[in-house]
Formats: sequence, C-alpha cells, structure tokens
Amino acid sequence: MTAQTLGPNAAGVAREPPPERPQRARRSAMVVAPIVGLAVVFAIWEFYVRVFDISRLTLPTPSSILVHLVDEPGFYWRHAQVTLREAAMGYGLALGAALLVATFMAHSRFVERASMPVIVLLQSTPVAVLAPVFLIWFGFSSWPKVLVAAVFCYIPFTINEFTGLRSVDPNAYELLRSVSAGKVEIFAKLRFPQSLPYLFSAGRLCVGLSLVGAVIGEMFGGSTEGLGNTARVGQTRLLIDQLWGSILVLALIGVIGNLLLAAVETRVLRWHSSQDLPGGPTAAR
Amino acid sequence: MSIQGVAKWFPTGRSHLHALDGIDIEIQAGEFVSLIGPSGCGKSTLLRVVGGLLPYELGTVTVDGNSPAQARDTKQIGFAPQTPSLLGWRTVRRNVTLLAEVNRRGALHPPLSEAETLELLETVGLGDFLDRLPKELSGGMQQRVSLVRCFALGAPVLLMDEPFSALDEITRNEMRYLLLDLWERTGHTVIFVTHSIPEAVILSDRVLVMATKPGRIVHSETIQLPRPRSAEMEDDDRYLSHMRSVRRALGKVSAR
Repeated sequence: MTAQTLGPNAAGVAREPPPERPQRARRSAMVVAPIVGLAVVFAIWEFYVRVFDISRLTLPTPSSILVHLVDEPGFYWRHAQVTLREAAMGYGLALGAALLVATFMAHSRFVERASMPVIVLLQSTPVAVLAPVFLIWFGFSSWPKVLVAAVFCYIPFTINEFTGLRSVDPNAYELLRSVSAGKVEIFAKLRFPQSLPYLFSAGRLCVGLSLVGAVIGEMFGGSTEGLGNTARVGQTRLLIDQLWGSILVLALIGVIGNLLLAAVETRVLRWHSSQDLPGGPTAAR
Repeated sequence: MSIQGVAKWFPTGRSHLHALDGIDIEIQAGEFVSLIGPSGCGKSTLLRVVGGLLPYELGTVTVDGNSPAQARDTKQIGFAPQTPSLLGWRTVRRNVTLLAEVNRRGALHPPLSEAETLELLETVGLGDFLDRLPKELSGGMQQRVSLVRCFALGAPVLLMDEPFSALDEITRNEMRYLLLDLWERTGHTVIFVTHSIPEAVILSDRVLVMATKPGRIVHSETIQLPRPRSAEMEDDDRYLSHMRSVRRALGKVSAR
C-alpha cells in the first residue's frame, strides 16, 4: 500500500478565505445594469434608424426626440403633471379599494365567492371601452381618466393582495391562535405584513397600468390636457416629435415611478428573500 | 393538568378516523412529560386537544381547573410548533415578544419582563443577535428564538410539538440541554412531543409511549435520573436502562 501525499491543508493549516466581492460593489452593479440595458436599446435604435435611413415619420432617432424634449420642457412638464395626477389618483383609489375588498374576501368564503364573478367580469372586459362610459357619467373632468386608471389597477391589486392575505404561514397562524389572538391582531401582525411582497409585486405592475389607464382616458375622454392628448394630437397632425416626445416622457414617468417604488420596497421588504442580492443574505451562521 | 378518557375522531369522507381513544394522563405542576410513538399515533393531535386548538368528542381535559378553550383564552398555555415559525419582518427581540403582545386583556399570568426575556436570549446565546432578522439566523438559532418566545409568554403550561425535528443531530443535542436550562430556570409544566428516545429520556420526568389506530397510551416510564440533567448522564446505567425500556415499548407498538 502506498502512502498518499497530503495537501498542505490536511495538516490543519488554515487557508486564506477567497477574496469576497464587496457588497457595495455588488449593489452598484445592480444599479448600473439597468442603465446599461437602456443605453444598449437606445444605441441599437439610433444605429438602426441612421444606417437603414428610416423615414422620420416612421421612426425618429432617440437623439432627435431628446433634442425636441430639451427644446420644449415646459410643454411636457405641464402635460405630464396632468397625466401623473390622474394616474396617481387612479392608483391610490384602486389600492384603497383593493385592500378593502381583498381583506373582506380573505376573511369570508361567502364574500370571496360573491366577489369572484365581478372580478372575472372586470378582468375579461377590455377596460378601454369603459372610458366613453365614464365620460358620459362624469363629463370632461379628470374623473373619467382617474377611474379608467383605477379600473386598470384594481384587478392586479385585489388578486395579489387577496392571495397574499390567504397565503399565511399555517404554523404562525396556529401559534397566534394558541393564545386566542383576535382576527384584527392576526391581520395586523401576520396576514398584512406577510401579504406585502404580493402587494408590492402588484404595485410595480400597476405603475405602468395606471399610466396606460390615464392615457387611454385622455385619448377617449375628449381631453385637452395630458400626455395622452399630446400624443393623440401629435399623431393626427403628424407632429412626430410631439408624438414620440409624449411616448418618451410617459416611459420616463413609468421608469421613475418604478424606481421610487423599488426603493420603498427594498426598505420595507428588507426581511424578504426577494430583496437578497445574488448569493443570499449575510447569515450569522 | 388532567386528561380523562379523551377520545377524538376525524371525519374522513363518509367514515371517521379514530385518532385518540381513552387517553388518561395526570400531570403535576412543573412536570416534564414526553409523548413518543410512531407517526400517526396522535401525539400532535393530543397536544392540540390539550391546547384548545382541536375539539374532542369524549372525555375531559382541565388545565388548572379550566377547559382547554378557557386556558387558551387566558393565555395559560404556550405553544412551540414543529418549525420555528418566526415572523420574517420582526427582529429576534420583537419575535420573542409576539405572543405577549396579542390578547393582552385575556392573560391570567403576566409575560416575562423585557429584562427577563433578554436574559433568556442571553442564556441561549442570542444576546448578540437581538436586532437580526430571522433570515440572518441559522436553523438552530431560529429554533432557539422559538423556544424563548414560548417561555417569554409566562404561561405555566408549555406544549412543544417536535420542536427539534428539523435540526441536525449535533444542533439537536445542544438544543436539548438549552431547553433543560430554560425549563429549570422557569419551572413550567411541559408536554413535549418527540420521535427521539434519547431526547425523551434525558429531558423528561415521565415518558408516555403511544400506540396507533387508535392513538392511546400503552406505556408510562418514570425517569429516575436526578436533576439537573447533564450530557454526562447519557453514560449512566439508569439512563441506558430507561432507553432500553422505552425502546422495547416502542418495538411492541411498531410490531403490531
């Protein structure tokens, strides 16, 4: 039998741990990545239009749209404020209504069964067709746009929050029942906090949906203000820069909204695995 | 605590599963009793019946003169589930006070003070982890938080449903003595469900062996080891003799 040669570590000599990538660097990479992604898309767009000599009416270059935006900041800021207000109000209204309905649904099978057909009906209806109806009901105020935005957001908020409130850890639930915790206490201490990842998930989706709702409301609602209106006017009068400028500002609002929500989410859900950087949490193990 | 002639059935489609039958147990205040038996023999069911979490069809259960439901309403019973079940958004410090925070008006016994709770956390080696979140703790550390949460309630009766079952053998062995330390400091009555014979013998004053179909108690082993218990006692002849005796009783149950 031949003796095996043992490596240096077999003698119990402690090896240096491999150099770990600092957490700050990893976080910076997470911020830089989306910027790089957007820059690549814009570069491909610019390159495509220039190289293939695409007509400005069909697709202007992103640089020309940016120049137009820089020339007319007041115009877009004024209309963006209108759309933003309508979208935010619709978002808030949908969130409030969804929290209320989902809470009742999560606590009562009867309410759940009674609500489901209404939710399926709303889900199956192309919400855009409601815009003229709301216009008839509420006139030329901002309410028709707010309501279209709210209807767009209501379903994802309700379904996600309901799922979150129902997806309660059965062991934690039993633990609270073992000391006769009341329904309100179980809601406040267990159900609602546990539902937050679901709520934030819907929240991110609804940032875009609320803008879509507000813009559709403006387009169908005979509006003279808002980015939906500026886009429609740009299309009908062939003001291509205005059309694309409105689209870009809307996209920018969506991105900023999502980033703001992501910042809040990172803070509120720091306990949740969805917020762990690749490689998992820093465990005290 | 008194359990007299308790029987329990679970509806299963058109018939019923006879889960518990003729359970008679008297438990003195401050006694540590373990329930051991094959899977499906009704250990956890019995624990939930005593804790007022499941209704029962026959017999009587009294906890310090109260029904299980009354004991639950007055927070006389602390419960440690199989998994730590910590709330992920609460720090260690806030997880251990969770049970004390709810149903405050019903509590017959005051929960441990903040200083006492912190002392228990120090005892189990979590003094430096008070502001950590559960995801930052290992499985063993999470289970220690769960144990302290159970004791911090200040309830005179504690029900523990295989709290160490998900842990590795080394951590599990360490947890036994941590639990003994906590129990000896507080003197609560404990009903402890386990599948481990060494765990049952080293922890308990009495080990009750249960058989299945229907769940019933077939053997009671009074453990003659002195207190406080230590790891050295695992070499004691009396410990080994109790181990053999419980194993034999379990063997008969499994052979049926």
